Amino acid sequence: MNVEEALRDAMAAQVAGVHASPSLGQAVRRRSRRHVVRFRTAGAAVLTAAVAVGVPVALTARPDAAPAGGSLAGTGATGPGVPAASAVSSGDTVATPEGVVPDVVGKSAAEVNALLKEAGYTVRVTKVVTDEAPAGTVFAQMPQPGTAAPAGAAVTITIATTAGPTPSDTEGTQDPQMPQDLGDLGDGRTLGGVHVGYLPEGLEWGKWSGKDGFGKRSYTTSWVEPGLEPGMYSVQMIVYRKDAASVLAKRMQGYAAQGAEPVEAGGRKAYLVSLSEGGDRILDGGTRTIVWTLAPGVGVEVMISPDYAAKLGKAAADRELKKIAAGVALDK
Amino acid sequence: MTEEDEAAFDEFLAARSTALLRTAILVCGASASDAEDMVQNALEKVYRHWPRIRHDNPEAYARRVVVNGAISKARRRKVLQEITFAQPPETPVESPDLGLRDVLVTELRKLPARMRAVLVLRYWEDLSEAETAALLGCSVGTVKSQAARGLARVRARMENLEGASA
Repeated sequence: MNVEEALRDAMAAQVAGVHASPSLGQAVRRRSRRHVVRFRTAGAAVLTAAVAVGVPVALTARPDAAPAGGSLAGTGATGPGVPAASAVSSGDTVATPEGVVPDVVGKSAAEVNALLKEAGYTVRVTKVVTDEAPAGTVFAQMPQPGTAAPAGAAVTITIATTAGPTPSDTEGTQDPQMPQDLGDLGDGRTLGGVHVGYLPEGLEWGKWSGKDGFGKRSYTTSWVEPGLEPGMYSVQMIVYRKDAASVLAKRMQGYAAQGAEPVEAGGRKAYLVSLSEGGDRILDGGTRTIVWTLAPGVGVEVMISPDYAAKLGKAAADRELKKIAAGVALDK
Repeated sequence: MTEEDEAAFDEFLAARSTALLRTAILVCGASASDAEDMVQNALEKVYRHWPRIRHDNPEAYARRVVVNGAISKARRRKVLQEITFAQPPETPVESPDLGLRDVLVTELRKLPARMRAVLVLRYWEDLSEAETAALLGCSVGTVKSQAARGLARVRARMENLEGASA
């Protein structure tokens, strides 16, 4: 046997028993979501708990069937065991068994938010700057329609947006909880009444922003490495004020309860932790995040994307987070 | 990402993920679970660019990401490996039970990461010298010399073993 054949044989034998896990696709998609700009609609998680389990939800099968939001309004409130009566009233609607993600692509963001909440899902919103869909409509969703997912599962919707400020809402029906753009922020370093004095070299403004996505009076934006595709972030910041700030303060108490040690950033006590997607749990391999109270009623959270952190190296990423935190000040 | 893109990605995974995982294990000399983590990482990149690359040989793209990831991972593991596998190459195999395959795999692991990648791509993936060079971003000449040196080391070990058992 010559050496090439022997080697081939040895390599084949070494990996013969290895098979990729069937859940690989899920794992990959889960990982993928972690790199996307996060935008969680306020209160969605809390609301989920209140939705009755086991209620069939009537959903339109076609994304272009407009009255979905209206015909849906009552169904979530019907008690267990009561069939979704409105499904019968319209030829367009079908009863979707509880636990199957509806098709929401193409619908307006506000409508979808309500619809998914009715179905018992936690709604996460990401935005993407694109011309391929009208601004304010859902451009993509995750998981895909028809996928089985239990009540309470997170459904991420990607809303198309324009680079500039969102055109004023024509119908006046926009859910106040849905993200709103703050418009052109120039260098993107001043929002929510704070100014970002330091950013890692090479980052530029991600050209989007959102208001009230993390609670009323919260503001967020991101900075990216040039060339990063829309919807991705390198560094994202959220400013919490008033009520939103008190929610953040509770989260920080939660970190302390989970054993996190405070660090010092710009003379203030901060928590530098790896967080789960929802942001409330400390998790190995989570997103590196620094949170602190900047002033009474003003909390700030800065996170670094796992990709960018890997590029910088863990220690350098943590140093950058602390430097960013130290450079954030109230805007005078 | 359209529904059809998602379905095509699932098909791609079903057809190719095991092969990618095996290649990753061979190139970085890691355990299956380490390699799986690496493959997930690589596939996440594939997934992110999927609508753009799916019609343009996604397999080659995925393989490139996996192999380059495996090489850099293997380099990080190198110190550890050298301790684990350190033994003078001229020493005959201590245990007669240790078959030829195990010896070769052990020898393969001792090679520098890039040289090992060349051998895996050439003799496991059956890529041509030109394809291997394109994937690793080096010249065909480098692939030839790395393959020759790698094979020579494996051959020396093999002959050593045959000499010992004769």
